[in-house]
Amino acid sequence: MAISTELTPASPSATLTEVPYGSEVHNRISGWLIREARLLDHRLLDEWATGLAEDLVYKAPVRLTRRVQGFSSEFGDTGHFDDDYGSMMARVKRLTGTRSAWSEDPASRTRRFVSNVSVWETDTPDEYEVSSYLLLTRNRADARDYKQLSAERNDRLRWNGERFLLARRTILLDQVVLGMPNLAIFL
Amino acid sequence: MRIDRLKQFITDPVSHLIDIENREVSVAALHDPDLYELELERIFARAWLMLGHESEIPNVGDYVVRLMGEDQVIVSRANDGEVHVMLNVCPHRAMHVCISDSGNARAHKCIYHGWAFRPDGSFIGAPIEKERMHGDIKPKEKLGLKKARVRVYGGLIFATWNIDGPGLEEFLGDMKFYYDMLFCRTDKGLEVLGPPQRLTIDANWKTAGEQSACDGFHTLTLHASLLEGGAMGGEANTEHENAPAMYGVNVSGNGHSLRCIPADTSWSMMAGKTHAGMTDDERLELMPPPGITSELLPQVRKNLTAEQLHVFAKAPPVVGGMFPNVNILFIYSPLRDGTLGSAMVLHSINPKGVDKFEWVTWFFAEKDTPEDVKAMMRAAAAQGTGTSGVIEQDDSDTWPHMSESARGVIGRTETLKYQAILGENRPADWPDKAKVYAGFSKDDAQWNWWLAYHDLMTRQA
Repeated sequence: MAISTELTPASPSATLTEVPYGSEVHNRISGWLIREARLLDHRLLDEWATGLAEDLVYKAPVRLTRRVQGFSSEFGDTGHFDDDYGSMMARVKRLTGTRSAWSEDPASRTRRFVSNVSVWETDTPDEYEVSSYLLLTRNRADARDYKQLSAERNDRLRWNGERFLLARRTILLDQVVLGMPNLAIFL
Repeated sequence: MRIDRLKQFITDPVSHLIDIENREVSVAALHDPDLYELELERIFARAWLMLGHESEIPNVGDYVVRLMGEDQVIVSRANDGEVHVMLNVCPHRAMHVCISDSGNARAHKCIYHGWAFRPDGSFIGAPIEKERMHGDIKPKEKLGLKKARVRVYGGLIFATWNIDGPGLEEFLGDMKFYYDMLFCRTDKGLEVLGPPQRLTIDANWKTAGEQSACDGFHTLTLHASLLEGGAMGGEANTEHENAPAMYGVNVSGNGHSLRCIPADTSWSMMAGKTHAGMTDDERLELMPPPGITSELLPQVRKNLTAEQLHVFAKAPPVVGGMFPNVNILFIYSPLRDGTLGSAMVLHSINPKGVDKFEWVTWFFAEKDTPEDVKAMMRAAAAQGTGTSGVIEQDDSDTWPHMSESARGVIGRTETLKYQAILGENRPADWPDKAKVYAGFSKDDAQWNWWLAYHDLMTRQA
């Protein structure tokens, strides 16, 4: 299966060097993730999309409940997201450039809480494997309750000399049966 | 007094909700706990239900856990190679025998007291055999998991608790002619492209159920964002005058239905050309039906009749459903390599209380499709339908509003209206199969869905 669910990201090299907490690179990447969450929560989707690399792979595999204790066997080939740069840009365009994207009009009010950031150097200079935890709350219209979602996100971030670009994101959801009726939002 | 009312309800549960003469359904039908309980008995424990595809469980011992109404069932491939469906309830103390949603097991052993069952549901025994912990009153043959009646059709696994009721062929009726065109057209058939997506929608199951019966009209407004993007033809500002994809042939029988969209429309939308005047063969070569590549076309020609091929050439079935709870989309879709491909999707609508249902989504391809194309079809299906699909995320947003309307004591006195009638009008060259409605997609097939619902709900035995 092509989905990396290992605690340490898969890599052609035998071991990846973890970037220490509190280092400059770790701080910059944590800051990028916080700004990304803020852009999404404020629905600045066009601006968020400028942070996507053109070779983006963006996936959220379906999760399964299995008897055998094996983290990596809990994810299927199908995804709740199964996207690339072109399809993500089409999604953004639908939400920001049409007058009838009803699933987000009126829009959800979301908060993305990002924590537990781990960063590894890769064989490619200026590319990092980044794992973070996401807790998302979503409220719509006059609903009293929140729809919630928690996940681990395994990213590939690329420094292009000016800023970081998201080159890969694999979202490992904690729900087998999602509690929200759609993912018209980005994770 | 209360018992008298109950008796009347059991005898005639829906006539106060469904006004047959005026084609109206009371909104109260979306929020009635008694009606819901009766639906579990009379619809979900009686109709043939689609539970998945045999390619999900290719090997002996493979199983998935699925829903028939609110009942969990184990769908497994037993030592005889056949697919068996049995209640996931231990006959000993009602514990779930399977506590995962999929896997492989040569025996299902209940974790509570250890009663064990074969993949065909038969009872193996209880621990400490010499103590006979299943007692002496019932023989082992009587202590297996409760078995549903199973029929695999086109690879799809159907089951029903109505052991002596109509067979699946009778249940599908004339619509089987059209379903064969989707599920039984290639030599090796369909396969799933992975385990299904599952999510919860806070709405009554019938909101999605009735829509699956050829609600073409909603696409103009609810899915207008696609129209704005040019995906459905017509211009955004003139959508109500110029909506070619709304004109087609809806076919309907026994509550099942499909929308057939003219190949001319699809071809002119996708390629900007007409293929009027071409023969059936030429049309199929130019633009095979959704899910079929030119390489697979010879198989389709071999497996289907001339009448079925004519329907494919003229107006292939692309969306619709199966009564009571299946939604079908076999649609053209651009693939990520820029070619025109397709997405093949089935949903099941599983009631989870009067105000909730679980929406299950499978993606398919013909087995003989190249692997790289399958991956692109899976991506196209996920981008268009299901959880994050740009088509269906608007539907899942709508249905909860309808259920909420039904919670108001005044709201539930309103009705769902199916009064836009086209009437049966079969074109001369269209096969005489099921009820045929050619023209603008109107309420006819959706009303037939409610008539099938009415019929099953009022049948007592």
